[in-house]
Amino acid sequence: MSLLVGILCPATGSVLITHRRLLQANLISHAVVPGIILALSIGIDPALGGVLSGLIGALVAERLALTRNGENEAVINTVLAGTLGLGVLLIPLLNIRVNLESILFGDLLSVGPNDLIRTLLAAIALLFLLKTSYQKLVFLGLDPEGAAASGLNVSSLRLALGFVTALVVVSSMAAVGVVLVIGLLSAPALFGLYQAPSLRSAMIRSSGFGIIFSFVGFFLAIVLNLSPGALIGVLCLLSLPCLRVKKLMN
Amino acid sequence: MTNLIANSLSFSYGEESVLKDISLELQAGTLTALVGPNGAGKSTLLRLLQGQSLPHRGEIFLDKIPLRKNRHTVALMPQRSSINWDFPITVEELVALGQINIAKQSCCEIEASLQRVGLSALAKKRLDALSGGQQQRALLAKTLAQNASIFLLDEPCAALDPPSRVQFLSIIRQLADAGLTVMVSSHDWGQALNAYDKVITLDQTVLAFGTPEEVRSKLESINSMGNHCCG
Repeated sequence: MSLLVGILCPATGSVLITHRRLLQANLISHAVVPGIILALSIGIDPALGGVLSGLIGALVAERLALTRNGENEAVINTVLAGTLGLGVLLIPLLNIRVNLESILFGDLLSVGPNDLIRTLLAAIALLFLLKTSYQKLVFLGLDPEGAAASGLNVSSLRLALGFVTALVVVSSMAAVGVVLVIGLLSAPALFGLYQAPSLRSAMIRSSGFGIIFSFVGFFLAIVLNLSPGALIGVLCLLSLPCLRVKKLMN
Repeated sequence: MTNLIANSLSFSYGEESVLKDISLELQAGTLTALVGPNGAGKSTLLRLLQGQSLPHRGEIFLDKIPLRKNRHTVALMPQRSSINWDFPITVEELVALGQINIAKQSCCEIEASLQRVGLSALAKKRLDALSGGQQQRALLAKTLAQNASIFLLDEPCAALDPPSRVQFLSIIRQLADAGLTVMVSSHDWGQALNAYDKVITLDQTVLAFGTPEEVRSKLESINSMGNHCCG
């Protein structure tokens, strides 16, 4: 399970970084929380609620988007804080018992067969997106205006990418938590992207680095009896100077 | 061999009028410069001529057929600023994007486009490992791979050093000599406009259109507007 998350998150992160949509992914990772809480309160699969509310959060941010980049970031961060706040408020309002900490930061002990199925579904969704739209994703990341001008349905493609991102975030919930998943989406992908000749190659390399991050994080978590999500987050942070040194050496 | 004719084009962003009553003709096998100051509406005009945007008034025809029925005949090379240069992509993969709307992509077409711009040897190189001039040639190869017959290039020489500009201009001259129709926009003016067959000066409307000599005679102030040019 942890290795699968280690493969899946950085591969998705490579696409998000090259498309400059990591902030949107962070928004989705927070916006899944109210959906998870609502789903738990009415007794349906939390992943379903999480994916839906993650996508709704991303769509709300796009609808409220302003023309300037800096203002857009402010809108996205406001929606991010608002959706997470809504999720936290729903717990007492709906009077349900939920371990919020395990949703936000992961709880390896709570991992069950359903989590593995969710992760496999997320992997299938990512592979399907790549199989059907790899070249379109490359075009969209390289030249969004040109891609739209060539007749590519940019909105649908971005929605599909948002859907896969929400699936990946929700599937990583048990292992690293929806907040700390952003570390696994980012750091290994930065290593993978460095001097990669193509997006495909970057995704494969990123997954390799992701496996290392996950393995070391979960191994240390077992040995030190600490939260794996938090440990992976710290490992991601500690890895950044290595990337800088690597770049300076070249 | 396709001729493009635009009749009385007008376009505005909201209340702000950008282009007024533009009429022009691009003949097959000609190299045309579209010059004008910043904000003259050059990029907007190129987008209209490529069919990305629709004019609020006026019509565009390609060999008497409305542009909307024949859009694939016109290809637009974007400005440098619209490209994400950090994207991990090889030159070959970039050129293949030019064929994204062609059902059966041909490696021969991709190789031919690379050869036309002299980048065959760098096909496997990452795009951001190339020099500025090579990057512009790679973008041109992608545009050529679209199998169009009219090519609109939006400020391709911006940020290029003089030798790279000369090399770029030499390549597009060869394309025009081979029968393709090429229009190049630039906000630079100068003696090197002589390298073009036709010149259109634009500032929301067409100020002058003709051979470089004709345009110069119409615009007495051309020298006061600077002495730099693409090429």
